[in-house]
Amino acid sequence: MRKFHKSNLFLLSVCSMTMVISAGCVQQKPLEKLGLITTTGYDMEGENQIKGTAVVQKFDPMTKSATKMITSFAKTSKGLRQQSNLQSNQKLVTGQLRSVVYSRELAKKGIIQLVDSLNRDASIGNMVYLTVADKTASEILEIETNNKGRLNLGTYMYNLIKQNVEGEQIISPTLHEFNHNYYDIGKDPVLPILKVKKNDVIIAGVGLFKGDHLVDELKHGDLFYLKILIDKYKAGTKEMGYTTDQLKKIMIKNENYTKKPIYSKIYVSIDNIQSRTKIELVDKKNLRFRVDVDLDSRVLEMTEALDLGKTASVKFLEKKLDTSMKKRIEGLLIRFKELGIDPIGLGNEYEAHLRGKPITQEEWDRKYKDVTFDVHVKNTIERTGVVD
Amino acid sequence: MKVNLYPKEGLLVNAFLVLFFINATQTGVGIVGLPRIVYMAAKHDAWISVFLGGGLSAVVLAMMVLMLKKYDSADLYGIQVDVLGKWLGNAMNIFYMLYMTISFFVILMNYIEIVQVWIFPDLPTWQIAIPLILLTIYAVNGGIRIIVGVAFFSVIGTIWLIFVLIVPMQYADPKNLLPLLNTDLKHIVNGVYKTSLSLMGFELLMFLYPYVKEKKKVFLYSQLGNLYTTILFTLITMISITFFAENGLARTIWPVFSMYKIVRLPNLERFEFIGVSFWMLVIMPNMCCYLWAASKGFKRIINWKQNHGIWVLGLLVFVGSFFIKARYQMNEVTDFVAKLGFFSAFCYPVLLSVLVLVKKWFLRRKKASAEVS
Repeated sequence: MRKFHKSNLFLLSVCSMTMVISAGCVQQKPLEKLGLITTTGYDMEGENQIKGTAVVQKFDPMTKSATKMITSFAKTSKGLRQQSNLQSNQKLVTGQLRSVVYSRELAKKGIIQLVDSLNRDASIGNMVYLTVADKTASEILEIETNNKGRLNLGTYMYNLIKQNVEGEQIISPTLHEFNHNYYDIGKDPVLPILKVKKNDVIIAGVGLFKGDHLVDELKHGDLFYLKILIDKYKAGTKEMGYTTDQLKKIMIKNENYTKKPIYSKIYVSIDNIQSRTKIELVDKKNLRFRVDVDLDSRVLEMTEALDLGKTASVKFLEKKLDTSMKKRIEGLLIRFKELGIDPIGLGNEYEAHLRGKPITQEEWDRKYKDVTFDVHVKNTIERTGVVD
Repeated sequence: MKVNLYPKEGLLVNAFLVLFFINATQTGVGIVGLPRIVYMAAKHDAWISVFLGGGLSAVVLAMMVLMLKKYDSADLYGIQVDVLGKWLGNAMNIFYMLYMTISFFVILMNYIEIVQVWIFPDLPTWQIAIPLILLTIYAVNGGIRIIVGVAFFSVIGTIWLIFVLIVPMQYADPKNLLPLLNTDLKHIVNGVYKTSLSLMGFELLMFLYPYVKEKKKVFLYSQLGNLYTTILFTLITMISITFFAENGLARTIWPVFSMYKIVRLPNLERFEFIGVSFWMLVIMPNMCCYLWAASKGFKRIINWKQNHGIWVLGLLVFVGSFFIKARYQMNEVTDFVAKLGFFSAFCYPVLLSVLVLVKKWFLRRKKASAEVS
């Protein structure tokens, strides 16, 4: 055994001492003295000025209301934080920021300068949800005061979005995904649009972005097709409407309730949808994309009795679903093309086949106008519930 | 100065530890920023550059071992004096010492910058520098066996950090890698060059060699260590390219930590805090090995006590840490060291080994012809 040198012992003690001492030198942040900003909203206010609204979570045992809303005006988002600090008895920190709301006006003008400030700040996580307000952001955050701080809006909004992302209703709008799609040449971001309904906040639709500015929005019905194209479903749900004529062939004639139809149309609800989408560039020269959508589902509800016991009628229904879905998907793709937005990432697919010089954003924008599509939808109804 | 170095039996290390030594010295602050730096040079084919860079270092490493094997048990200090003569050899020795001290400095400063950016923005540089330098001095004071032990512990203790990257892989878009081999040769080669800063460290084998017990196995284990590093770096670069958007990666200074940002545990919101803290374990063997090899020079060249050399260099680095304030200064110094490293770790050992081989061949021929006549 080597003898343990005295100098080593000395070194070891100095080492540990400096570590202990320097640990105390860092600015301390006791929880009771902090106000955690859980959500912030940004609005345009006049010229060259933004209005920031923040919901602050407090850990003060003395006060009843656990949250507080702070409004301030500044030129930059960090300036807003300083202004907000003047209105708070606790130091405001952003480590627990869960969601950010941008007003529609701001989103239309572009939000990258505000998103960039989130990126630069190491204390802000990558999984913050970005959203767009239907009108103003302050309107949404004011719900907190209207509810007298009982709602805990920061967590509420976070869970609202998280629950719907996990339930496959909307596309995940995290900061990371926004960045990825923004900085990618062949893809554009999408963010959910929030709306006030009475004293509550709801998801009203999805905003489609061109780069960093809001161009268009999709309502509930089209969201399904957008999600099919961008993502995949593991257990989705969709209702499809048909006129009585369209499905006459497979209706059960002598069933009682067909005599007095409740609805003027027939609705079929399919759920447990598992979708797979393959987007392929089949013709590089003429920019022809082939979109293959495969859906496996089960029928769980229909507003008219349909004869789903027979193979032929199930096949017939599948065909009907195919054609109507195909129409909607094609409509959506053409709408994107006309607006010049590419939320699906067709540009990426094109780039992956492009040899030689990489494409620039302008080049792709020009090329995107000439893109054509070949949509193929294939539905498979695997089950019809516990009855035929 | 004696060319060969015969340490006591008790100071020798097992050959398989060379694997950990090579891997630990190569993996350091470089890999945190590597994907971005190579991406800027070779675009989405960056991972090919990194892989080729690993191949290049394998070749250089093989040449080094070949050179070392020509001697019985020599280190670089001895070899340089043997080949280049007393004056030039010692000048090169001092150059190498300086290079290793600067490398130590750059590793330290880069890590301090990471800590300041990611965790403690208001922590002064000297406050992190003191404990880190003292810790290094403490480890180096313990001798080569302790240092190799630190290297072993560092590799084993941080291996799990790789598996954490499975989480960002779920957000990856493999299409970013296509089309394969689209970047022209010039840019790929440039990428290989940019990889050099991160792969630096294996040149320290030339100082460890006298201390390895089974000298025959050095070649095998050094190559395995380098192979492991190459695979690791290529994998990390590949994940970064697919995880970030094309313009996003070029903007991210520390892609590896940015990827850790996405990991979220139920009781820990931000995983990068753990990542940055654990990175101290990753850079520890780097700093120890460089300081050890540099301070060894004091003993070999001017026959000082190595112990004193350690303190002198430690103090030098500490004083140096006051001169760097901003990110752009850091960039300049890092770029300078990358150039220096490319010369001292990649070009120079090859040159030297060629010289050694020629010299030995020449001597053998002379000897043979003397015997014949």
